[in-house]
Amino acid sequence: MILKPALHKKLVKWGFLLPCLAFMMLMAVFPLVWSLSLSFTKWLGTIMARPQWHGLKNFGDILFRDPRFWADFGFTVRFVVMAVGLELGIGLGLAHLLHEPFRGRGFFRVLYLIPMACPPIAVAFIWKMMVHPDVGIINSMISAVGLAKVKWTTSTIVAPFTIVMVDVWEWTPFMFLALLAAYQALPQEVYHAAAVDGASKGQMFRRITLPLISPLILTIVLIRIIDAFKLFELVFGITSAGPANSTEALSYYIYLTGIKWFDLGKGAAMSWIFLIILLSISMFLLSRFRRRD
Amino acid sequence: MLSRSSIIHRRSTGGWILLCIVLVVFSFWTIFPIFWAVVTSFKFTGDAYDPTFIPWVQFKPTLQGWRFVLITAGERTFRSLRNSIVIAFFSSAAVLLLGSMAGYALARFVFRKWKNKDIAVWILSNRMFPPVAVLIPYFLIMRTLRLLDNPLSIIIAHTILNLPLGVWLMIDFFRDLPKDLDDAALIDGCSFVGAFFRIALPLVAPGLVAVFVLSFIFSWNEFIFVLVLGFNKSITIPITIAGALTTKGLEFWKVATMSLIGVIPVVLLATFISRFLIRGLTMGAIKE
Repeated sequence: MILKPALHKKLVKWGFLLPCLAFMMLMAVFPLVWSLSLSFTKWLGTIMARPQWHGLKNFGDILFRDPRFWADFGFTVRFVVMAVGLELGIGLGLAHLLHEPFRGRGFFRVLYLIPMACPPIAVAFIWKMMVHPDVGIINSMISAVGLAKVKWTTSTIVAPFTIVMVDVWEWTPFMFLALLAAYQALPQEVYHAAAVDGASKGQMFRRITLPLISPLILTIVLIRIIDAFKLFELVFGITSAGPANSTEALSYYIYLTGIKWFDLGKGAAMSWIFLIILLSISMFLLSRFRRRD
Repeated sequence: MLSRSSIIHRRSTGGWILLCIVLVVFSFWTIFPIFWAVVTSFKFTGDAYDPTFIPWVQFKPTLQGWRFVLITAGERTFRSLRNSIVIAFFSSAAVLLLGSMAGYALARFVFRKWKNKDIAVWILSNRMFPPVAVLIPYFLIMRTLRLLDNPLSIIIAHTILNLPLGVWLMIDFFRDLPKDLDDAALIDGCSFVGAFFRIALPLVAPGLVAVFVLSFIFSWNEFIFVLVLGFNKSITIPITIAGALTTKGLEFWKVATMSLIGVIPVVLLATFISRFLIRGLTMGAIKE
């Protein structure tokens, strides 16, 4: 079969792209649309065979009559702010200190990949045994030096910080290595020129380094914010959202409502509220990716 | 490299000491949980709760934990290992196939109606939404198709999860290839499809490996979809790790051993493609 080159090209170009787009329409867009339509219904999966039209009542219930949703929202936001803030602060400090080459840096770079490569649920369970309030290694060490044991998972005040601590363990190395790569890409000549002009180290950091890497910092921070919002495994594994729901992340509440209690309509409405929150943050990030190259 | 450290920031002795302290503290903090899991996995039930670190000196090491996980409860462990490998393999293969084709189309051809960039950003936006947002429809779809507790449903979910990453990295890899190469192939009478399979794909082989391994790691680690779509036949390693908890409270030696079975393969894979891990996690925004 002989085709005109232009037609052939068109066929190939769409033939290559369409399978991917079609698959995404079918398995990503369609489920989201279905979930949107479910969110306007009442459907208690355990007792009702079919969904019933419920209008906007699910959204009204969640936004105005569900303090648990807002408490979980508050916890999730506090978690994201603290965790990402700490990861950025420590990561930037480390990158600043260690960006110059030294012997054995390759080894440390590989070492620091370990936390982010681990399955999050394994991270959660390894930490769960370490922060065990009675027999965990951390409290054993604390009481060995004569201090009072910390109620890592049994106090409503401490438990949220425990989740933050584990997330910081898991993702600070990511922040550090990503910033390290950004440091490596800085142009040398500018520093030489600044050194010739007699700039101090502090001035170089504020006037050259920060402005040059801040666009990348923003991209990395946005990626971390979006991923931190999806917090689930750490809460599931370490505290099971307790004590007294003090570490219940939004995604955990959605999971409970939609899957455990099988309240499909309300669960779908909650997922859409969550989705809208995340998509509005994602818009920033996506526009940065669009402007790249 | 040399010029930078020697001219701009000459490190003083104090700087070296600070550097060493920071390295030691941060490395200790990073590696301690893994070290602790390894130590605990070689302890007897009674010793597992003690703050002892050195085998033979402080406690008597045992293979009890490993024997339990691999032999006594071996059927469940190997079932979930097999599922993890099958699901990660096939979903990564699908990501590789769909991702490299779409990546090639977006890197080599010009789309007019929707611009290449818009299509690429739309694909990326799929990486942003939270898995919980589609749990309910996925559960209902898979129930309708009678695919609940079938590895296929999880393969589909993980393919969707990792496809944006695959497309974005492949666009980058194909763009880095000189376009003259495929043009030369086309002039020599190669078809577009031939140029893709015989010229472009072999040249981006390292990229293909990176996408496959990254996607494999993320699929291996994924928890929520398996929690909802699989119960028994299609459980993966993360679910089995979570299951180590339920029987008799928190048995440290069992939790540690099970977790390590989940951790070791992906950590080995990650060191194998260490150059690409950050690049993959940032969707190509950071290149090492």
